[in-house]
Amino acid sequence: MFSALLAATLVATAVPGQAQGQPSAALQQAEPNQVQGLTVVQGDGYATLAWTRVEGATDYQIERTPLARDGTPGTPVIVGVWRPNRQVNNTEPTFADAGFAPGNGFQWRVRARFDTEAQPYSAPVSGTTRAHWGDPATPGESLRTQWEDTLGAQYTSDVNEYAYTAAIDQASDRVRVVEIGRTVQDRPINMLVIGYPKPPATPEAVAATNPLMVNCNVHGNEPGDREACLIMARQLAFTKDSKTLDLLSKTTMLIVPTLNGDGRAANTRGNSTGQDLNRDHSLIRQPETRSLAEMVRDYRPIAGYDGHEYGNTNAGDLPMLPPRHQNVAQGIFDESQEMIEGHMYGQGAKDGWWACPYGCTSNATVGLSEETILRNTLGLKNVVNSLLELRSSGGPTRPDESNTANNRRRKTYSALWTFTEFFKYHGANVKDITKARAEAITFQSANEGRIVFRGSRKIEAYPAPHPGEAPPPVDAPAPEQILEQPPCAYRLTEEQYHGERTDGPDGKRTTAAQRIAAHGWKVIKVADGYLVPLSQPQRGLIPLLLDERAVEGLVAGERVAPTLTGTRKGPLVVSGVACLDGATVRGPIQVQPGATLIVTGSSIDGPVNATGAAGVIMTDSTVKGPVLATGTQGPVVLVGNEVTGPVSVLSSKGVAPLVAGNTVNGPLTCTGNSPEPMNMEVANSVRGPNFGQCARL
Amino acid sequence: MSDTLTPGPCSGPRSRVARRRRAVAGAALALLVAVTGCTNSQQERPGATDRTGDATPVAVTGPLCDVLPSGAEPGSPGSLVGQSPDQALTWIPVLTTFEAAVRATGMAEELSAAGGLTILAPTDDAFRAKFSTANLDHLLLKDTDTLRGLLKEHLAGGARSAAELVAAGSVTTLAGTTLAVTAAQPGARLGDRAETVCADYRAAGARIHVINKVLGNLPDTAHEEDNHH
Repeated sequence: MFSALLAATLVATAVPGQAQGQPSAALQQAEPNQVQGLTVVQGDGYATLAWTRVEGATDYQIERTPLARDGTPGTPVIVGVWRPNRQVNNTEPTFADAGFAPGNGFQWRVRARFDTEAQPYSAPVSGTTRAHWGDPATPGESLRTQWEDTLGAQYTSDVNEYAYTAAIDQASDRVRVVEIGRTVQDRPINMLVIGYPKPPATPEAVAATNPLMVNCNVHGNEPGDREACLIMARQLAFTKDSKTLDLLSKTTMLIVPTLNGDGRAANTRGNSTGQDLNRDHSLIRQPETRSLAEMVRDYRPIAGYDGHEYGNTNAGDLPMLPPRHQNVAQGIFDESQEMIEGHMYGQGAKDGWWACPYGCTSNATVGLSEETILRNTLGLKNVVNSLLELRSSGGPTRPDESNTANNRRRKTYSALWTFTEFFKYHGANVKDITKARAEAITFQSANEGRIVFRGSRKIEAYPAPHPGEAPPPVDAPAPEQILEQPPCAYRLTEEQYHGERTDGPDGKRTTAAQRIAAHGWKVIKVADGYLVPLSQPQRGLIPLLLDERAVEGLVAGERVAPTLTGTRKGPLVVSGVACLDGATVRGPIQVQPGATLIVTGSSIDGPVNATGAAGVIMTDSTVKGPVLATGTQGPVVLVGNEVTGPVSVLSSKGVAPLVAGNTVNGPLTCTGNSPEPMNMEVANSVRGPNFGQCARL
Repeated sequence: MSDTLTPGPCSGPRSRVARRRRAVAGAALALLVAVTGCTNSQQERPGATDRTGDATPVAVTGPLCDVLPSGAEPGSPGSLVGQSPDQALTWIPVLTTFEAAVRATGMAEELSAAGGLTILAPTDDAFRAKFSTANLDHLLLKDTDTLRGLLKEHLAGGARSAAELVAAGSVTTLAGTTLAVTAAQPGARLGDRAETVCADYRAAGARIHVINKVLGNLPDTAHEEDNHH
């Protein structure tokens, strides 16, 4: 503010006439092709300019002039160029001007250009931009980050982040800061858990609120999103806005400001070992990525954003991309696309931000199907989500960003806009998101259809006008990346499962078993190793780590083929491992103690009875008769079944039974299980009484 | 553009403005404020006031100065005068790579060498134009010996202004490389390669000249860039 004030003063004195070089347009009649109807609406760190379209204009220039407190104008600067590819509707042009120091006064004008020929400027509109969010005189609200305090000259340090987030936690009942892990160099990885009037007390209770997550800093040298996250945390902690509080009362916001604290401190992309953490979300060799996987497992966010910066000067302000890996459930892809194209593109066009598909410039080979990337990993975990990039440089559409502070502010406030819109979108669409998630969990657990190791869903070009130049690369799977017949399970040897590994940092290495546990997969201990059945919610991810053809595999497990696919008349007694896929059994199934039953897409006429089994997995199946699993030693998974008869899950040990998305025409009874059964927020339809631990499932 | 300055008395905002020839059309006028160095303690930046409290008039020179912190802004040239060189570097926002390299190599104390130091600090853009992200990560995390050698190509004994470097006609870096120094408009041209883009920051015992190219003989790797989100 101070420098603008002085600069303005100087122009008025040292360069007389320049600022007044143009007669005031407001006093004139409209000239031909002069922009009309300019309005300026202030947002947090940006100002949305909107004007009436000029027929025949090829682009528009946005001019900003600092105003001193007494209204004296400073030097006008062209801060923006509006081009038709920045919004999905060209009929109502808008531009989010950003980069200015919050709280200063400015005057804006817009002019059309016909090719390079500039037309007359609009009448000016002046306004005062919003100051840093929060009343400086109100405790809590008055907190500021190092980045805000230094007007963007410095990013918020690790130590300042801890102090700032701790102060928010202290001052607001709505915020709890939890440590979800530690970096290689032992920096805490914190997460802000935000709810109203206060966040639920446990991860399990948070999971019941359909939480949403923002991962703010995975590449240490891309810090713009992180600053937005820290500001947003303060806003959510102290806002009095009733709409925001209403949304916060229904869900929980999870903000991970700095997953890669070591990389942020060192200003490196990778962590302290040089590992790119956004190529490690499936393998989770590093403590940082493992911490995030465990967080996702425990808090179960239903939607997410992952913040980055991107070096292509010709990209939009805000490249975004859904999880494209073809193993991601269609509904998760569709909902993520709906969030991006249905909401962010449209709202961006309204507020003046240029959201576009990542890879939206021609020949960009980015935005592909690596499951190691959080965008895809989260999709494979049935989380509706998007990548967010902040264009690193101002580029041709923001010509005033050689000024580092301006550049940093534009990036951070564009991220703040995105995360705020994400929060609103989530609140308005929670039913659609949870429906897509429930269908995805049911679909994945059914283990149906081909497996793709690498390959993306196509992103069609958005109907013209496109936001950007081109859709992202097609990235279809090559034939050798496709496995038409999925196995029933992968068998891992003791050595594969528990053996020491050589990947990961010294002293912090983990076994396959630890990583599988961090993802939250169900594993059955059998006589000759460990079975990882595909009939579970992360089915799309499992082969990408355990198959011999995996591109970046963890271990090459043995594919276990189904043991029964046809029709069997008469009773079935299971000892060892039985895997029924698309089978019909006309008779009862008896699972012997220590045996394993995996059933998917099958039809069973008769009771299913397992006592002391190693594991009982039943998905996407129809059972006429009671289902009883008692004293199961390992996992019980009942997902997406239709059972005519009572279902009872009793006295399971060690693993929480998963009972989700079933239709039970009879009572559902759960007692004596430790830990208690869960449904991952995918309700069962029970036409009988619910008893015991399953009463709320 | 050759800049002169006449720091005004600190009696009020308007009188603090130094006069200077405006040579960069349309550029921010913030630089004009940079040469004043007076603190405005009533600004609503509680974190900044203590850092600018001893602000001293400092004339920095070069086209990039216009877009760097100035006046009473945190990180303005005047606010860095009393700071140790490694601390001063943290305030110049285009030097995040160089500053990280100083920490990565543990060279912070060496920057406060007795007898003073001239620091030729390449911008982040210069590093990006020279090295791929993977290469830079490797240097910062795994090959700090090489990085230390690279930093020494950017350090020279004695705290010398750009004008003094030009007058001397050459400078020998701590790495032993002798670079010819010629006058450039404005500032200095080094080894027919780099130019100062904002010269003559003053820190305690050091001059910091922001330059636009990375010096030394490490191979270019920027074209190998393949890192994305």
